[in-house]
Amino acid sequence: MRSTSADLHTLTGAYALNALSGPERTAFETHLARCESCATEVAELTATAARLGAAVEFAPPAHLKDRVLAAAAETRQLSPHTPRLPRPRGLGRAGGALLAAACLVAVAFVAVEVSGSGRDDQLAQLSSQYGRFSDLLTTPDARIFTGTGTNGATGTAVMSPSRNEMLFLGKDLPSPSGDRVYQLWMVNGEGPHSAGVLSSPTAPIVANGIPGAERVALTLEPRGGSPVPTGDPVVEIKLA
Amino acid sequence: MAKRERTLQSIPPGAGAPAGPEADDLLALVARGDEAAFERLYDVVSAPVFGLVRRVVRDQAQSEEVFQEVMLEVWRTATRFDPGRGRAMTWILTLTHRRAVDRVRSAQAASTREEHAARLDPHRPFDEVSEQVSGRLEQRQVRRCLSFLTGLQRESVVLAYYQGYSYPEVASLLGLPLGTVKTRMRDGLIRLRDCMGVTG
Repeated sequence: MRSTSADLHTLTGAYALNALSGPERTAFETHLARCESCATEVAELTATAARLGAAVEFAPPAHLKDRVLAAAAETRQLSPHTPRLPRPRGLGRAGGALLAAACLVAVAFVAVEVSGSGRDDQLAQLSSQYGRFSDLLTTPDARIFTGTGTNGATGTAVMSPSRNEMLFLGKDLPSPSGDRVYQLWMVNGEGPHSAGVLSSPTAPIVANGIPGAERVALTLEPRGGSPVPTGDPVVEIKLA
Repeated sequence: MAKRERTLQSIPPGAGAPAGPEADDLLALVARGDEAAFERLYDVVSAPVFGLVRRVVRDQAQSEEVFQEVMLEVWRTATRFDPGRGRAMTWILTLTHRRAVDRVRSAQAASTREEHAARLDPHRPFDEVSEQVSGRLEQRQVRRCLSFLTGLQRESVVLAYYQGYSYPEVASLLGLPLGTVKTRMRDGLIRLRDCMGVTG
């Protein structure tokens, strides 16, 4: 484990240059959350890389300004909370056909989250998170997939190819023992890529940046997550 | 090279930092939904954003598309910008670079990219940077600081950043082991950081 950590540390430069593949970036960001000295170095190297960017400035065609300002005027801003996962992407547009499906997921989400304990701060968090999900849910090409797993557990995934973003929500997942966590995987032609670790069995998770995902799988892994899945899927969802 | 270094030596580190406090203040207003502030922010950042997208993506039509996406994403996600974790310009250009790189990586099949990589003269990007140098302080400073890197450090950094190549692609392009490229990228950026006086 120590050598893995050292390997990850040398990736600060490649990460700041955005030269990592999606799965490596995810693994590195997981490491980053636990490594203060890496975080400082990454902040400095990222700022340095941005200076390389600022050095190649070139004015855009003038007509783009009105277009961007008009689009901004019609675009809802994200709710101001700090996301744990990488930035959402794509342009949100209202899609009427998805409304019913969106409500369904929202209700499932509310039911799952609130039944645990109905505290006010949870509700506040919920509504801010829901703001984030509504951006995904109202994307015209968002589709809903469900899957069942062992012991009656189920999972719902909302996938938007245009945003390259997916929301996963588990239901009736058994609580893992103290040293285990649920880890989500997106599986494409190259194999499984970590989409992150669930903070609790009822917590939703948003993943992006993994193109061509065919399946989503949830496994139990040692605390902190694994680079590759080590257990059998608890829930599996086919994205087709 | 030596002559270039001498002529630019007089520029102090930290001079010409891109879009200073102005962008930070404007982004804070944009986070509160201030459309007028967004228009002013557009004026401050649109040239660096478009220049970077254009450098990585190359194609004009696609560059315009990615540029608009980035600007709109700045508007949408301004609420998530944390001033405690860095400057607005860094945040915006990091987002810009990721979007531009995502576009070129998804647009090109791996084989096409490899062919392209094999044809590419690794010296070209830095020369292009040099060619574009005008009176702008930050451009001159970047050029000066890049010239202090070793050849492999400079090529690793420049190929990854301006061409959007992943580090394995850079490794194959330069005929180096992966581990070497990783450390060249890190060492190169650290040297640039120290030369530019960047504090994060």
